[in-house]
Amino acid sequence: MNEMFTTGLSSEPPTDEPLVSVRDLHVRFSTPKGPVHAVRGVSFDLGRERLGIVGESGSGKSQTGRALLRLTAGNGSINARKMVFDGLNLMRASEKTMRGIRGSRISMIMQDPKYSLNPVLTVGAQIAESCRRHENISKADAKKRALAMLETVRIREPEKVYNLYPHQVSGGMGQRIMIAMMLITNPQVMIADEPTSALDVTVQMQVLKLLDDMVRERGMGLVLISHDLQLVSSFCDRVLVMYGGRIMETLDAKNLDQAQHPYTKGLLNCLPRLDGTHDDLPVLKRDPAWLTEPEHADGGLS
Amino acid sequence: MMIDIKDLCITFGAGNHQIHAVRNANLQVAEGDSYGLVGESGSGKSTILRAMVGINARWTGSIEVDGNTLTPKRTVASRKHMQMVFQDPYGSLHPRRTVDDTLSEPLVIHKMDKREDRIIRILKEVGLGPEFRFRYPHQLSGGQRQRVAIARALILEPRVILLDEPTSALDVSVQAEILNLLSDLRKTHGLTYIMVSHDLAVVGHLCSKIAVMNRGEIIEEITEEQMRTGEVEHDYTRQLWTASHGYDRAALESFREFA
Ligand SMILES: Nc1ncnc2c1ncn2[C@@H]1O[C@H](COP(=O)(O)OP(=O)(O)O)[C@@H](O)[C@H]1O
Ligand SMILES: Nc1ncnc2c1ncn2[C@@H]1O[C@H](COP(=O)(O)OP(=O)(O)O)[C@@H](O)[C@H]1O
Ligand SMILES: [Mg+2]
Ligand SMILES: [Mg+2]
Repeated sequence: MNEMFTTGLSSEPPTDEPLVSVRDLHVRFSTPKGPVHAVRGVSFDLGRERLGIVGESGSGKSQTGRALLRLTAGNGSINARKMVFDGLNLMRASEKTMRGIRGSRISMIMQDPKYSLNPVLTVGAQIAESCRRHENISKADAKKRALAMLETVRIREPEKVYNLYPHQVSGGMGQRIMIAMMLITNPQVMIADEPTSALDVTVQMQVLKLLDDMVRERGMGLVLISHDLQLVSSFCDRVLVMYGGRIMETLDAKNLDQAQHPYTKGLLNCLPRLDGTHDDLPVLKRDPAWLTEPEHADGGLS
Repeated sequence: MMIDIKDLCITFGAGNHQIHAVRNANLQVAEGDSYGLVGESGSGKSTILRAMVGINARWTGSIEVDGNTLTPKRTVASRKHMQMVFQDPYGSLHPRRTVDDTLSEPLVIHKMDKREDRIIRILKEVGLGPEFRFRYPHQLSGGQRQRVAIARALILEPRVILLDEPTSALDVSVQAEILNLLSDLRKTHGLTYIMVSHDLAVVGHLCSKIAVMNRGEIIEEITEEQMRTGEVEHDYTRQLWTASHGYDRAALESFREFA
């Protein structure tokens, strides 16, 4: 793999410059059963926008998101011609630099909050600590900020919830706590990996609104990873549709009905609709050629 | 009526910690119909199904199935005609048992004959070839496991199948295949279904009548026509319906909590 080198931190880029730029990203794992090529030449840019990544399980969505933070598991390796965040070459950055970026300038919300929260600390203490790690403020101020953030994510009794341990909160509340912890540092980029899949629809919408506010009010760049094509297209500006580690198609979310790729169309057609009939749903027929068509892999970018 | 439930109340715990998981639920399902139960998590949907199949015995009210009044304690014979399929295709199959073991067990319990024939026939009906018979769960995909779970329910030739979020853990393309299978099986066998889901579109696809639950109560029963138009009685139902159409920032302003 050739890598394109960019020099360390540049000055503040103009606002139309993408926050993140990825070209020809590959993630490979070695396993006892042989190599697994999980991400196969993905390219995209992220601006101050809501970018969706959708696809069925195993299509490489999470691994694409994790690669941006270099959180790929130990048996994996990342290659890219380019992977740049705000002028910084993420492929070349030291582990120390990456630690400074993670959770501070690029945050990631994981699907299951239970694994991301520290079980022996109260949730309030974790949010406050996250705040103090990135800003020089007193403990008392951090607590105030944490309580305010719990309110922002619509937790009804913030004072009470502040003192709970992760195992004492429900899935929906855990997810909102995670989001509070990620938002309190005011990141430039948020990667939200199925942040609402475990939540009820109405709560789902409210959580998405929080993320929407961050994009609108603070110019954050959001990558929303989800298996729910309909939800993502109702929320995002653009959608990357992934299959077998590749991008099949990049769509303007509002033009979902003009999707061209048979995979995207197949995914849409097999969804039951509220205004649908009881007739059998069309099933998705997969074409092995989707895994080799070169023109789709890089989403039209080279 | 194939299923007639009256004033069903189900509680957990006692004293100050008592939870009224289901309050005065009433519902009727005609033979061969498919009835949906929707609502957010914790609204009591699974609890109703679990009381019906006898997993949970602490309830009051009456449950009648095919003219027989069920008592909280169930006999082996009375369980045969009502089977349940669960959400989690990973957790509901024993990891050390082959498909053949899983399908044989209910036949043994209910002393049914011609086991091998029945197993081969049922696998075919759920779309699995004979090569799946001696596989273990880890050798199956999520969709194949759910087919095995459906086969296990079907092999006793029940009249009623209770489906608890049967496709929630599956990819949408696999969900479509399982929904088609369930729909076929109902027609061929004249089965009566109650299907629980948090997904309005999924229940609407399979069911012609849908009960909406909120905090243990059935607040409204809607028809498929109402499902299409959204012309529903209750604000809670309307909010659920609106949220099921995707993200709508403006509509969110009017969202509220329903206690
Ligand atoms: N540590 C690992 N070792 C081997 N394979 C892995 C590892 N992590 C992920 N994979 C594989 O990478 C592929 C893509 O996974 P993922 O990005 O998690 O998919 P998605 O998020 O779209 O469901 C899958 O086939 C998965 O099994
Ligand atoms: N075994 C149990 N012990 C105590 N509470 C329970 C038990 N099972 C369910 N509940 C409670 O009953 C209520 C309804 O749960 P459930 O029927 O599982 O909801 P749903 O299936 O609609 O998500 C919830 O408040 C839940 O916590
Ligand atoms: Mg994933
Ligand atoms: Mg349930």
